[in-house]
Amino acid sequence: MIEVQNLTRRYGDFTAVDSISFAVDDGEIVGMLGPNGAGKTTAIRMITGFLPPTSGRVRVSGRNLFEDPVEARRDVGYLPENVALYPEMRVSEYLAYRARLEGMTGAAARTAIREVLADCLIESVARQVIGTLSKGYRQRVGLAAAILHQPKVLVLDEPTVGLDPKQIIAIRELIRTLGGRRTLLLSTHILPEVELLCDRVVIIDRGRVVAEGTPDSLRRSWQGEAVVTLELKEGRAEAAELLAAVAGVAAVEAHGDREFELRCRPGSDPREELFRLAVDRRWTLLELAQRKASLEDIFVRLTTDDAGAAAAGAVEPAAAGEAGEVEN
Amino acid sequence: MNAVWATITRELRAYFLSPLAYIVAALLLLVNGFVFWFIVSALNNPQFGGQIAPLGFFFNGLFFWLVLLFVAPALAMRLISEERRSGTIEMLLTAPITEAQVVVSKFLSAWIFYAFLWLPTVTYALILEYYHEVDWGPVAASYLGVLTVGALFLSVGVLATALTRSQLVAAAITFALLIPLFSFGFLEGLVNAELPKQVFSYLSLPQHMEDFSRGIVETRHLAYHLSATVFFLFLASRALAARKWR
Repeated sequence: MIEVQNLTRRYGDFTAVDSISFAVDDGEIVGMLGPNGAGKTTAIRMITGFLPPTSGRVRVSGRNLFEDPVEARRDVGYLPENVALYPEMRVSEYLAYRARLEGMTGAAARTAIREVLADCLIESVARQVIGTLSKGYRQRVGLAAAILHQPKVLVLDEPTVGLDPKQIIAIRELIRTLGGRRTLLLSTHILPEVELLCDRVVIIDRGRVVAEGTPDSLRRSWQGEAVVTLELKEGRAEAAELLAAVAGVAAVEAHGDREFELRCRPGSDPREELFRLAVDRRWTLLELAQRKASLEDIFVRLTTDDAGAAAAGAVEPAAAGEAGEVEN
Repeated sequence: MNAVWATITRELRAYFLSPLAYIVAALLLLVNGFVFWFIVSALNNPQFGGQIAPLGFFFNGLFFWLVLLFVAPALAMRLISEERRSGTIEMLLTAPITEAQVVVSKFLSAWIFYAFLWLPTVTYALILEYYHEVDWGPVAASYLGVLTVGALFLSVGVLATALTRSQLVAAAITFALLIPLFSFGFLEGLVNAELPKQVFSYLSLPQHMEDFSRGIVETRHLAYHLSATVFFLFLASRALAARKWR
């Protein structure tokens, strides 16, 4: 259980995190979503007790990380954004050190190390010096160290950054299996990751929580603004005007006289009417499709008003392609 | 405590794997070997015979202080600065270990390594013992001085390394703090009033080492070294707790 209340962090005049509040329940996977520079990492650093907040409060398993640091930190496993490890140590030595830091000894520590080596697919590099490992392996060693002591709460800051697609799938699989057993807060700017893994999403922009809910509920509340695309076989000069008159259509954007994009009024689905219109007018329909607002649309809309292009540019191109799938 | 011990052993391992530690060790042995050779030559030279106090020369000479002023920054500069530069500090400070425990572990590992560096010089006394009876009391007292003055110097280094992410800046800060700390005693000759004279004399590190090399273990000296060490380590742990970075 993580409770965040009015958490604020200022650096001089700049407010990196501005009074955010949310909670992660036991056994829940919550994704913290936001463009680069939104304050995700600063928020996570305060939640894990690395950075003292300017004001506000964080409680993990009911304990304050700054009032009861040693005991409260035992409950938290943390994978920082930049996974930093001691380059001169071997993987197994590093994990042994982390186990001792967490107060584990003897057989319990050895068993735990064996388990995380297997879980994180790093058995093959256990004897290797960390400085010689690739980024993907280092990321997994960091994750292994974070889950070593079986913390009740796991905080992962961009856990799949810098991994190749195969590793991303493996790590996501691991996160999913971890999620059932413990409370998990995950920060990312990769949208499909959120849809795949998270029970709930907190969208952060410029240090504030701009939306919160399950991926479904977020999508539902924005579905009203679905877009219908329509393509005709032959060009019709009068089509734009007729389409705009159909009930439920809020606006028509014409690309020439054959292709149209219709913005729908909230809650309405004008596809049936559009089909009838086409039949009446003897238009040959090549395409009639409704595109539901994807999490990406919501994300871009919520984080785009003034800061504009910067926020939109932060969405990974590959991710954008996947999330923006046309439905129906 | 397990966390402290784990961190000390990790740090010691890092020392033994870093080239810098070997360079420092080589430097220390080179200079001390030279000083020892000089002392033996002087003792064998009828012109100097009996004129020099071997222990005073070895433990309170120009070379002793020069080496110490470089060894302490070199050993301490990596301790916390490197963790901040590489980012491993984030892991360390979110682990169940307090800032004070981190500072103490770092300091103790540096101190143990420092003591280890001095260990080979004991053979000099053993070599002398082979040819002539050695008065072990003053030798032991001198090594006690080496350890407590070293603790003081290293604690200044730990404070400096807690203040910056650059090892070079940490070494420079250490050096800049050690120079006045070391030179306080020289002010004694510059003042006439009784009280300041006494104060400077009390704070004079060369005076302390002089006493130790004569076999005098003065509790006031030890109290000064240890309380100053604790003071600098306390400042270091406050600096670390303040997290005034980024």
